Parts: sequence; C-alpha cells; structure tokens
Amino acid sequence: MKIYFKSLGMHLKSELEYRVNFILSFLSQILVFFTYYFIIIALFSKFNNIKGFTMYEVLLCFAIIQFGFSSNEVFARGIDHFDKLIIRGDFDRLLLRPKNIILQVLCSDSDFVKSCRLLQAIIVLIIAIIKLNIKWNLMKVITLLLMLLSSCVIFFGIFLVAASYCFYTIQGLEVRNVFTDGGKHMAQYPIGVFSKGFVLFFTFIIPYAFVNYYPLLYFLGKNDSIIYGFSPLIVIVYLIPCIIIFYLGMKRYTSVGS
Amino acid sequence: MKFISGLQYRSAAWAGIATQFFFGFVYIMVYIAFYESGGKDIPMTLAQTITYLWLNQALLALVNQFTRDQELFKMVREGTISYELARPKDLYFMWYFKVLGQKLADVTLRFFPLILVTSLLPAPYGLGLPASLSSFIVFLLSLIIGSLLVTSLTVLYPILTLATMSEKGIVNIMITIADILSGVVVPIPFFPIFLQKISKLLPFQYISDLPFRIYVGNIPIKTCLPGIIIQTTWLILLILIGHSLMKKNLKRVVVQGG
Repeated sequence: MKIYFKSLGMHLKSELEYRVNFILSFLSQILVFFTYYFIIIALFSKFNNIKGFTMYEVLLCFAIIQFGFSSNEVFARGIDHFDKLIIRGDFDRLLLRPKNIILQVLCSDSDFVKSCRLLQAIIVLIIAIIKLNIKWNLMKVITLLLMLLSSCVIFFGIFLVAASYCFYTIQGLEVRNVFTDGGKHMAQYPIGVFSKGFVLFFTFIIPYAFVNYYPLLYFLGKNDSIIYGFSPLIVIVYLIPCIIIFYLGMKRYTSVGS
Repeated sequence: MKFISGLQYRSAAWAGIATQFFFGFVYIMVYIAFYESGGKDIPMTLAQTITYLWLNQALLALVNQFTRDQELFKMVREGTISYELARPKDLYFMWYFKVLGQKLADVTLRFFPLILVTSLLPAPYGLGLPASLSSFIVFLLSLIIGSLLVTSLTVLYPILTLATMSEKGIVNIMITIADILSGVVVPIPFFPIFLQKISKLLPFQYISDLPFRIYVGNIPIKTCLPGIIIQTTWLILLILIGHSLMKKNLKRVVVQGG
C-alpha cells in the first residue's frame, strides 16, 4: 500500500509540472462531465418522473456510478490502459519485480485530471442527498458506503477482465466500451426502468443492479428489506473470478518484445 | 483515397455498430420509461423521438463534429503539417475534402446495417418512416447542407489549434459546448427554453437537428424554409472564416519538432 501511495504522489507531481495545461484540462473535463448531468436535468424539465423516480433520486444513482468509474480512472488507470502496457512491452519489466503484479499495474499510471469528475460526483451526491430528505439511521449510512465501495469494485473488476483480454489479443477491446461506458450510461438510471432482459443481464452477469438499484430501493425507503441494504456485498464476490481470470490470462502471456 | 482507407477498418466498424446499437437501445428505453411516466408539454411524440434517436445513431459518424483519428490535430501538434504546406494546393480545401471523405466512408459502413435492422424492429423500438414524401426530400436536401456544414466545423477546430498549439483547453471546451448545442446529446426540443433561444443563434443545431426534425415531421415543411436559409448562410460563412483564418494563422505558424 505504501508503494502505491508513493507512486501516486509521483504521478501527481509530474502532472503538476505542466500547470497551465493541467488546469485547462481540468476545466474542460468539468464541462464534459456536465453534459452527462445536462441530459438528466433537461429531460426532467419536460417529464415529471421516470417510473416513479424523481430527478434527485436519479442524480443520486448516477453520482454513485460516476464515483466508482472516475475513482478507477484516477487510481487504477494502469488497468484501464493495460493494452498500452502490453504493446510497449513494459509489462515484462513489471514481471521481473518481486512485488504483486496487480499492485504494480496500478502504480504504473494515474490520471489526476479525472479527479475533477470524482469531485463532481461527490458534490452531486451531496446535493442529491440533501434534497432527498432521507430518514437516516445507521443501516442507511452503511448501505450508502457499501454502494460507493461496490461501485468502485465493479468497475475495477470489469477493467481487470478487459485487461486480461489483452493477453490474448495484444490489442485493446473495443466492445468492452459496451460494458464500461455503456454500463455507465445505463446504470445512471435506476435499472428497474429498463426492460426485463436488460435487468436480468445486469443483475446476474454484470451485477450493476446490486450497486445502485436494490440498495437504492432500500436507501430511499422504497423497500424495507435489510437484505437489499447489504446486497452490494455480492459485487465483491464477483471480484474473485475477475482476479482469477487475470492471473489465468497472465500465464498465457508472451512478450511482444521491445 | 481517404474513403478507401477508411473502408479497410471493417472489424472496428462492426464493433462500433454493436456499440451504437447498445447505446441506441439504452437511450430508447430511457425515453420510453420517461414517456410512460408522463409529463407536461412534451415537445415530441414517442415515435418521433425514437426515430430521431435512431437517425442520430445511424448518421453519427457523419454529423459528429469530431473525427475518429484526430489526424489533423496530430499534424499541428507533431509538426507534420510542414509536409502539407509543401504541397501546391489550397490547404483549406485539401483538409476539407479529406474530412468529408472520411466522414462519408465511416457513415457508409454504419448507416446501412443500422437503418436496415432498426426499421425492422417491432413497433415502439423501430425507426419510423418519414412524415411524408416531400418532407423526406427536404430532409435529404438539408442533410446534405448539414454534412457540408459539419465538415466546415470539423476543419475549423484544428485551424484554431494552429494558434494555441494544443487541442486541450479552450478548443476542447468549445467542442464540448458545440456538441451539446448540436442536439447529438439530447434533441433540441427537450432543452430548456432559454437554451433553445441561444442555440437558434448558433450554427450547431443546423447540422443534424434540423434535418432530423424535418424527417420526423416535428418541423412541418411549410415552416422549414427559414431554417434551411440560415443553414446555408452558416455554411458559406464558416467556410469563409475557416479559409481566411487558416491563411492568417499559417503566416505565423510555428512548426513543432524537426
């Protein structure tokens, strides 16, 4: 862990060397990110609700997904851009070092410009929670924290699986955008608004529903079952096969040379 | 030339098509859920909105203001623009037709499969027929003007970077705003009223929003003439601006690298 934070600090320092560029990219990222919220706000100016969910409920849902996605972009960019690591042959260097391989991949890159998305997600989250008048109790705090955690975990898992795919093809996988970007777009709305097939797929194959639908129902008081509150834990179970797939892929790895 | 080399990347195109189908479906299900929940003064019918969204997906490669490979930006950044300068042709129009060719190639690959499949889809999900034969003809006319217009914008952005040297920052912010105001993200009629008024004064909504709304009948043929006149005016204006700006910027251009 110590190594990881040290390398994070180094990446931050190197990015701050180009200060003007950093600030400008930061600002433009804020704006790019705003377009996502714009869709929701624009649509809710014409429609009253979406299958019983109000604007702030949808924003809460979205903020949780964005939180997970962007924290992966900031802190786990090495996994996100794993194909680059393979193509350049840098992965061989990592294999030679006597440290955990996933940890090293995490250390290899990070993108602090994207931290503005993280910041925005947190701001939107807070605004949504204030506007929603939640009846707080301990369990709801736990549920909220679990939702945020599982949101990070699910994207980490998807990135890992997509990265293991690179072992076979060397190239990045374009279809994976369907699961990351596409999943992100879809999961910004409570998954219950979609048709049955989608809901099933994103409950059991890629468990987005456990990140921000079932726990959300509990959190908003639409469902009182405490199991719903703890359901994000299932996502953590899903991480195990993802890690196994990554290590299996690594066994297949042959260097591209450099 | 650009057209043929673009056709080479067929597998990338298939992955792109799959992604667009997925996104199209997600958006449509969101809109269906919104329509089922009801609202006040909804500007378009559900069928119109869905047809609009599919047209948007099918023609995205044409009406999008970004190009896939960012070649022109790279030329400016890496200094290979110097080769271009050595050629005895008007650089603006060379770039212009290069971009247009690429857009046409990209859209040909994606357009037919998407249109074919979406028009066969069952009732609420499918692509609808044009409002009438005459509106279809006017749609084609304004789509042609719109694609010439979007090309003039796509060429304009790298020309702007001739002055700033990096496409990050200001130009990026501009592109993001232009993207929202073109209606690619949310159809213009769903915008808040004040934003619709601003958008009317800018060229972006005349790229694809105008032709699509003529197609679905949201803008009746009788009232579409002013729109097409404004569209043509912007086209001529933007080509003139781009052409003169390029001349001016090239006079004091700094070629990066050797």
